[in-house]
Amino acid sequence: MEKFLSIALVVIFIIWYLSYSATRLDRLHHRVETSWANLDGLLQRRAAVALEIAKSDIADPASALLLTAAAHQARDAQMQTRSQAESGLSGALGLLLNDGHLVDGYIEKDLLRELSELTDKIRVAIAMHVDAVTRTQMVRKKPVFRIFRLAGSAPLPVTYEFEADVL
Amino acid sequence: MSLQKLRIGLVCPYGWDTPGGVQNHVRDLAEYLIAKGHYVSVLAPVINESAIPDYVVSAGKPISIPYNGAVARVLFGPIAFSRVRHWISDGNFDLLHLHEPAIPSISLLACWAAEGPLVGTFHAAAKRQKAIFAIGPILEPVIEKLTARIAVSEAARETLTEHLETDAVVVPNGIYADLYRDGEVRAEWSGNTLGFIGRYEEPRKGLSVLLEALPIIARFAPDVRVIVAGPGDSQDVRDEIDPQLRHRFEFLGRITEKEKADFLSSVALYIAPNTGGESFGIILAEALAGGAAVVASDIPAFDSLLGGGEYGALFQSENPQELAKVVIDLLRDADKRKSLAQRGKVYAQRFDWDVVAEDIFSIYEMALVGGKGVTLSSENRAWNRFLGREGN
Repeated sequence: MEKFLSIALVVIFIIWYLSYSATRLDRLHHRVETSWANLDGLLQRRAAVALEIAKSDIADPASALLLTAAAHQARDAQMQTRSQAESGLSGALGLLLNDGHLVDGYIEKDLLRELSELTDKIRVAIAMHVDAVTRTQMVRKKPVFRIFRLAGSAPLPVTYEFEADVL
Repeated sequence: MSLQKLRIGLVCPYGWDTPGGVQNHVRDLAEYLIAKGHYVSVLAPVINESAIPDYVVSAGKPISIPYNGAVARVLFGPIAFSRVRHWISDGNFDLLHLHEPAIPSISLLACWAAEGPLVGTFHAAAKRQKAIFAIGPILEPVIEKLTARIAVSEAARETLTEHLETDAVVVPNGIYADLYRDGEVRAEWSGNTLGFIGRYEEPRKGLSVLLEALPIIARFAPDVRVIVAGPGDSQDVRDEIDPQLRHRFEFLGRITEKEKADFLSSVALYIAPNTGGESFGIILAEALAGGAAVVASDIPAFDSLLGGGEYGALFQSENPQELAKVVIDLLRDADKRKSLAQRGKVYAQRFDWDVVAEDIFSIYEMALVGGKGVTLSSENRAWNRFLGREGN
């Protein structure tokens, strides 16, 4: 009887642990999704601001063309080419803004302020997303999660080269 | 700041009515957010429940445990846990901001019990904490629930990476820089004066290091004086001072904010000889904002706050000879001292609450994306998914 009880306890514990682990992983997947949604939204907004800048007096015609092309590329990019396209946009914005010419006019100043605020936020959003992704990958590598297939059919989150490339 | 009004729950791990940097930070942040029109509730351990502001909810009386070289007044256990759960379910919060969630405290309990947009701020900067290493595997699943992590300094961030293998965004603690911007120079505190603010009876504040350095300093600067401000029994400390040096000391006791601003504008050098246990060093940010030239020990928190020596001079912690050397050097060279103070004052603006709270709020906004408010943690979410239900 005692033997039966202890076996039952062990089984209950194992079931609890698996359920707990699956819940843990589910939360992590949720974190990856929401942090990506956040980053994606910010990047979309940046592309929109870049287009505004291209139309404004800040950009000369040549830079405007370059910027418009880069912004559209970033907006339309597929997952695989997204990182590259976003870096392209960063490059185009950098070329235009780092040559140090002064900007006057309310609208232009507003645009530039919005862009710099977005850049700060994107930096944080990247950190949050990368952390969620690496965390999830680490947890999914653990034997318990692999053997019992606790991830179910959820795809393994991928790291993009965001840290170095986007900004 | 955004027009969106949020319901924010802050959890303070340490006793609300005991002095400390984390408590001050939580209080200032709560009051700032309330002033911006948000609903804020702070859950904290409280000793005297009759003397708390109405935005604070007591989680019970704190107990004292030795932690990180000091005595921490924290709270945990089943009764505290049930209070935390009630606070979370009654609060109907959009977001929880947990302070120091990696130590045994109600912050950790709240992180355990809650689910949804969670932001954690890590204050401690301590190298090689064996205790955390030992319980790391238990903490891991709890800490990874945090949507966003904030570290108050580079040193705190390194501690976090080292112990819990997770990264954080650095947002410093805040000060009201306005209070210190326009201090008046008072004749009685100026000259070759060394300022010290803090509970000087505590050994970790390092007044004894300054005491040891003083005879050497006095040899090169015969008129040097030390002005000490802060609560404490000055008679006890005075009795320990070498009689030959006693006349160089002045104890002001507790001073007002206005006096503090004048103090920082007047003294030749502000000295922070702390030997450890400091998580951020808010007093240094205030001293810089007040325009004082700062000399501080090179403990991790100070080193990172002073930009590795860029905005204030550093000396090897607990080394009176080196402290004396740095002080003498700066007392002799007024230009060097002034340019150091000037650099520091400009740099200190980044610690102003307007900047800091904006940064914290922007992290809140990011944490809120895709969230549906804070709920009690459900252990069924995986089952819902397996059974094909739309779980969250």
